[in-house]
Amino acid sequence: MAADSTSTAPSGNGVSVAEQLEQLGAARKLVLENATYYDRIVKGVLPIIGPTAPVELRRWGAEFLAESLATPVLSMRDKENITVAVLDTIRGLLDAPGEDVIVLKASIAAAASAYPVAVRWIINNSYHTESWEQMSAVKSRILRIWDGAPVPVKLSCIKFAQRVVLAQTASNGTEQKYNGLDISLNMIPPNHPLLDPRQLEAEATGLLDRMLGVLQDNSSDALLVDATINCLSILTRSRPNTSNRILNTVLNYNPLKLANSPMTSKTRVLVRSLEKTTRMFLTHLLRRDPNNPMSGRIQQYVERLMRSRAEIFDEAGRKRALADQAVAGYGDAKRQKVEAGAPQFSVPPLGPGPHTLAGVFTLTNNAGLQAFDATQLPANLAAKIGVRTLAALDQNVLDLALNGIRDRLTSLHAAGAAAAAAAQPAVMNAATAPLGVEEDDDDYEPDLTPAEDTEQILNKLDNAPPEELMGHAADAGAEMALGPFSLPPPPTLDPDAAAKLSQAAASRVFGPLSTLKDPGAAVRKPKAGINRLAASSYDRDSWLTVITRLATRSTAGLDGAPSSGIKSEEGALDRPRASLGDSIRELLFTYILEDWRRRIEIAVAWLCEEWYNDQLTKRNGSGGELNYEKCALRLVDGFLSYITAQDKVLTRFLAEIPELSAPLLGKLKALCADPTTVQLALTSLLYLVIMRPPVREIALDTVAEIWTEYEDARPLAAKYLVKWRPGFIESQTRGTGSDAAAANSMAIAT
Amino acid sequence: METANGNAGSAAPAQNGPQEDASGFKLKFCTVCASNQNRSMEGHLRLAQANYPVISFGTGSLVRLPGPTITQPNVYKFNETSYDSIYRELEAKDPRLYRANGLLNMLGRNRVIKWGPERWQDWQVGMPRVKHEKDQGSIGMEAGVPDIVITCEERCWDAVVDDLLNRGSPLNRPVHVINIDIKDNHQDASIGGGAMVDLADSLNRAAIEERDKVGAAVFDAGGAASRASFDERVPEVLGEWQERWPGLPSTWTLSWF
Repeated sequence: MAADSTSTAPSGNGVSVAEQLEQLGAARKLVLENATYYDRIVKGVLPIIGPTAPVELRRWGAEFLAESLATPVLSMRDKENITVAVLDTIRGLLDAPGEDVIVLKASIAAAASAYPVAVRWIINNSYHTESWEQMSAVKSRILRIWDGAPVPVKLSCIKFAQRVVLAQTASNGTEQKYNGLDISLNMIPPNHPLLDPRQLEAEATGLLDRMLGVLQDNSSDALLVDATINCLSILTRSRPNTSNRILNTVLNYNPLKLANSPMTSKTRVLVRSLEKTTRMFLTHLLRRDPNNPMSGRIQQYVERLMRSRAEIFDEAGRKRALADQAVAGYGDAKRQKVEAGAPQFSVPPLGPGPHTLAGVFTLTNNAGLQAFDATQLPANLAAKIGVRTLAALDQNVLDLALNGIRDRLTSLHAAGAAAAAAAQPAVMNAATAPLGVEEDDDDYEPDLTPAEDTEQILNKLDNAPPEELMGHAADAGAEMALGPFSLPPPPTLDPDAAAKLSQAAASRVFGPLSTLKDPGAAVRKPKAGINRLAASSYDRDSWLTVITRLATRSTAGLDGAPSSGIKSEEGALDRPRASLGDSIRELLFTYILEDWRRRIEIAVAWLCEEWYNDQLTKRNGSGGELNYEKCALRLVDGFLSYITAQDKVLTRFLAEIPELSAPLLGKLKALCADPTTVQLALTSLLYLVIMRPPVREIALDTVAEIWTEYEDARPLAAKYLVKWRPGFIESQTRGTGSDAAAANSMAIAT
Repeated sequence: METANGNAGSAAPAQNGPQEDASGFKLKFCTVCASNQNRSMEGHLRLAQANYPVISFGTGSLVRLPGPTITQPNVYKFNETSYDSIYRELEAKDPRLYRANGLLNMLGRNRVIKWGPERWQDWQVGMPRVKHEKDQGSIGMEAGVPDIVITCEERCWDAVVDDLLNRGSPLNRPVHVINIDIKDNHQDASIGGGAMVDLADSLNRAAIEERDKVGAAVFDAGGAASRASFDERVPEVLGEWQERWPGLPSTWTLSWF
């Protein structure tokens, strides 16, 4: 190819950079397909990607080295070979003045992967001083450029420092033996000619401090903070000497500092990120290492963090709410100004002539509003408007309006009587007699308006004796009065239809739930505790209380009695129908399972009601059906199939429901078939053992059964059994005979 | 689909640009949801169609699909069950039900994307994926290490971040983990897929701009904005994206493989 001179490779073989990249890409594909080529190809590309190569090649090379040194397919031995071979090139790339950011970033990542491998190599080949010198030079170069480097390079420096600390502190052996993570100070013999453990450890301590500096400064640079926190976990877990230092620093760090500055879309992302990353790190440690002496402090910190986060994001909500109120208040003030004239509100007397019913009740003078046909409104909307208006209406105005309408009706009666007296047929229809604009009538419908006559008649009537008026009024008003109305008798219901309808009724009970707001999400309200009245506020919680009580109590003692005569008369063909309570139970069950993680509280509330109702039934001795156990088993069955290791709600659920039984806890055993949920099941049981002494024995029986039935769950189960039922495992292992059956049968009610 | 979300106007310009250039630099993506069926697979498909290298995973312990009732889900093992076998099983069980609830349609789509659902926690990061050349979005993913992980639910993001902490970051390679809250239904998954492509395009544009700047000299020239690297611009890009997609709340962190 006629390659232009600028992009020609330094090797001078006349191949353009693009072509070279293509060839290198093919070589990379080859090693990915077959790892045995790594050694040859990595060494082969080194001359092409050196510090003097074009930047595209250096970028490719540095990234390829980083990838090759990190790949999980190579064994430690293969990596040692490659590492020793590439150190010189990495050093060259790092030393080049004004090197490209991407090249630096990738080269440092490669050095991070190389470091533990090089340490291991030197431990075993102390004669090879040259490699260690190169590695040390690379290290000091990286630590030198760290401070002034652009952010992406800094990220790599943080990670490099982390690998150095990891390799130069004593391990507790809990890390995976994988990719050099297990290389630690423990491996370095005290009398090694090149490596002095004390010196290395001192260096590690210094580097750790330097890494943590970004947290100590309470920096809000989310990128650096996230990158630091997200690589601290393995140090804390597997390098005990670093653990306290790291935890103290993180616990003193305030990830929400940035929240005080104005919230742009970017700051919002940053605040969330810092808070969530810190919290994830700490909860991760709590989970992996619950026995950590600092776990109490961590717990407190996490809780505080969640509270302040809720406040920050709530604050935004609250501010908006306040603003809304202010606007509303302002609006009210304005409205009051207008309404200052309300006392002068008056109902114009009706014009002469016949009127529609609507006309009689129309109060407005606005022609457009008068023409509005209110029947077009859907009934529920009309009802809503009606209720709103009545609630907001001033009593004086209402009285005025009522009196006005009353006057109109009186005058209408009078006019009707007069019209009857004058034997004048009503010729006008509503369309030609606009209401409330009587003065203008003459202008456009002069010959149709007998205004004069009516006036006169009215005047005459005013003088007429009242008895007569009353009699006439009664006649005339008959047309408008409501006759007695009786609803047609309902069609007779057969039991099936009744069951169907009651089910429909039950499902309607759940209708409002979707529209009621969830108070938990939006507003935190003070808990009234035991003084709380059920269903006293109009929110979702109250409605749910109503539902649970409807399910458990509404028909208690009614459908419970099995021996009512009516039922037996219906014959044996009559299949058992669900009572109203049962259909609500059914719907409640489905409702909870739809989102059981969040609705577990409802489940607990429901079960409490069931339990209470069962107690009442038992006390009455009416022999009614007991529902608690049935519902509890069904609920547990329902969500057990969805449970994952993170679902702590299980523990909470078991802790809060009022009664536990052996069959119920027995359901937990199924969880032990899945190794990921073994711990959840067993910790839930442990919690019961510790916190609910009445069920301690059943819970321990269940743990014992788990120990017997599930091989995989044995270690953890054994741990709890040793503490809480000493001697059990010995008796099991000694007399292999299964007395689990015996344990099985002793179901103790709480 | 985007018109449905009311974001078409602002999202449209982001669709142009890098997408036309199928051969240029491409960030590598990984989509994650609970069962590697609906949301992550919709994202997988859409990103692959936009020519991005992409892989996808689920973080659940098992693959769970709706069954005849809420208490009888269809449950399968990760990594061992193919989309095709699930498709055939459900079709044999109750074709009417599973067609009506969209499962067969979804599985039919998935089985042409890749072989079967994969579990995040079982994935060995950095294992070459050369055997996956038939998967959509496999080109460019041969080394098996993505630059960006996009999860579709806060719980999945938590699981991914926690798992990365647990692994101890042996590869020394940074990765941006971004959550987008997408409801687990077909329609929202489709909207979410469009949002993912929009995000991918925006991020990729920032990455290309970084790579176009050659040499350290560039860092001394120009203002702070032009000096900012790709990593630094991720939160900013995500913030702008969030304004275009206010209905899909997001979370981000920089973690390590």
